[in-house]
Amino acid sequence: MIVCSNCKHNNMTGAMFCTECGASLGRADTTTTQTIKADNLREPVKNKGILSPPPAVMVKNWVTLHLMDTGQVLPLAERSEFTIGRISEGQPIMPDIDLSPYQAYANGVSRLHAVIKREASHIFLMDLDSANGTYVNGKRLNPNVEHTLKNGDVVALGKLKIQILLKA
Amino acid sequence: MYRSQKDYYALLGVLRDASMEEIKRAYYEAAQRLHPDKNKLAGETEIFLEIQQAYEVLSNPKRRSQYDATLSKEDAPPAIIQQKVLYSRPNLVRLNEPQLIYVLLEASPRQVDEKIPAPPLNICLVLDRSTSMQGEKIDMVKAAAIQIMQSLRAEDIFSLVVFSDRAEVLIPSAYQSDRIKLAARIQMIRPGGSTEIYQGLEAGFNEVRRSLDPKRVNHVLLLTDGHTYGDEQACIQLAEEAGRLNIGISGFGIGSDWNDIFLDALAGRTGSNSTYISKPQDIQRLLVDKFNALANTFAEDVILEFKEGAAVELNYAFRLQPEGGPIAIEELLHLGPIMQDTPLNVLFEFLVQPSASKADMVTLLDGALKLVITARPIPIPPIRLKLEREVGETPQNDPPPPAILNALSRFTLYRMQERAHEEAEAKNFDTATRHLKNLASLLLTQGEKDLAKTALLEAENMERLKAFSQEGGKEIKYGTRALLLSATENLQ
Repeated sequence: MIVCSNCKHNNMTGAMFCTECGASLGRADTTTTQTIKADNLREPVKNKGILSPPPAVMVKNWVTLHLMDTGQVLPLAERSEFTIGRISEGQPIMPDIDLSPYQAYANGVSRLHAVIKREASHIFLMDLDSANGTYVNGKRLNPNVEHTLKNGDVVALGKLKIQILLKA
Repeated sequence: MYRSQKDYYALLGVLRDASMEEIKRAYYEAAQRLHPDKNKLAGETEIFLEIQQAYEVLSNPKRRSQYDATLSKEDAPPAIIQQKVLYSRPNLVRLNEPQLIYVLLEASPRQVDEKIPAPPLNICLVLDRSTSMQGEKIDMVKAAAIQIMQSLRAEDIFSLVVFSDRAEVLIPSAYQSDRIKLAARIQMIRPGGSTEIYQGLEAGFNEVRRSLDPKRVNHVLLLTDGHTYGDEQACIQLAEEAGRLNIGISGFGIGSDWNDIFLDALAGRTGSNSTYISKPQDIQRLLVDKFNALANTFAEDVILEFKEGAAVELNYAFRLQPEGGPIAIEELLHLGPIMQDTPLNVLFEFLVQPSASKADMVTLLDGALKLVITARPIPIPPIRLKLEREVGETPQNDPPPPAILNALSRFTLYRMQERAHEEAEAKNFDTATRHLKNLASLLLTQGEKDLAKTALLEAENMERLKAFSQEGGKEIKYGTRALLLSATENLQ
């Protein structure tokens, strides 16, 4: 028997996804939220504010999020699409990237705020009809419309500012 | 080359270890199709004579063993399709409780030197013209029918049936040359009357059967917007007959008032599926897509003849592509078509009882894939399919193949909506509501925002009204089904 770690439902041995909540029961998990922990992070970048050339990033990252208020950088790799938001207790909504450790609530980040994805050599950002909107270089995006990102673009989820660093 | 010398087994379409019973049956089947009194095409009599020769040898045990001695193991003919099997786990575990294992089967045409040409069609459009089709729906249907007729090739056979409570063969099955006249006839269709699907289906089936030809893709396209009452069983029986004759039936349901379960069951008997058309503007695109897909058929319906292993149950079989849809678990499984450019992918779920895991090796399924290559009527030998796994004391923690994981993660969504339907049917509305809410949050995490919204709305409906809305239920069902197709894209 396998007990689902998400909802505690008992599943039969050999099941790969929970029959109750649909969560993956396995090891190589592709869909759970990655709460970014300190050891995933690079050294905080010293100078706050706009960065010019990105610091050397790991080869596999296709985009790095630079949180401008705290100076932390979040390299994203492996998957080609990440939903961004914050986890709030008692809600089943699980974004791929949880920004709650970075004052997401205070800055008006929705639980499921935006999605960033890669298609061929293009990187797109799409607002998921968030309450406080998504801005690129100060311009508000229409919800559910993909917007192409360039290296150095400053994205604001509500008031949380993130600079986009693309691999050169 | 797929047949260098005469292979009697291939001619009869049986495995080399076939029983006398199977050989007899295969011979009678072939004789019914190819007997000089019945066959239609040049060359079929010659094939029949060869089959007769094969039967004379194989039906006599002494001559059969003499013939077998001339066959070396290596020159078993190379199969014309190649299949690949993936298991969710490297082994089963010795347990005192039941366990599950998933198997993903992929069958695709083998790349051969000879290019198999696009097969000619023998199709019938069966169109609902009941009163409810009035307005935009019937206009779009007419436009689609005319577009399909215009894109027929000279070698295609086409017919058209309209029905309400009775059927009318508007265009009898034939090569169609005077297309202007036919277009005018289609334009004349006027809606009126109630919906009796059997009437239309039978007329369409008869048209296709009249020109039945194994070298063609023989197919009925049924389009309706309503429920049929009282004749469902007759329709299913007709579909079973169609399945035996290798005539495909696919269903198209417009709007929210048609019976998706019935149409799926109907099409499933022939290895095909049903399509949901939410708005009239989509009628033309979806019908024409289907028409184009038919001309791209490699094998119209792959049939799996099988036995489950002892204490093993086949819980579920689902076709991921082409045309995702559930496969009815019956004596024979109609797995579905193989396209020239799209392999057939089927996902199986097996339940293994504790008693089976006492052995060192468990057979999940033993059977053979049978198929007819469209555009080539010569029988090809069935392809053995034996699914088995070793039993170990401890689980091996190898990660499952990504393809199966990916397919299952999407399949889970489809299963969740199906469970919600099942629970609602059993009047467990709370459970159904919970399933829908869970489905909604799962869809959200996969970025399917619109579908997630629909699922949430349906959860509310379930809570308040104790039912799905007609539309939402179908949105979710066909929406999660469409997601399965996108899951298989990177399977290759």
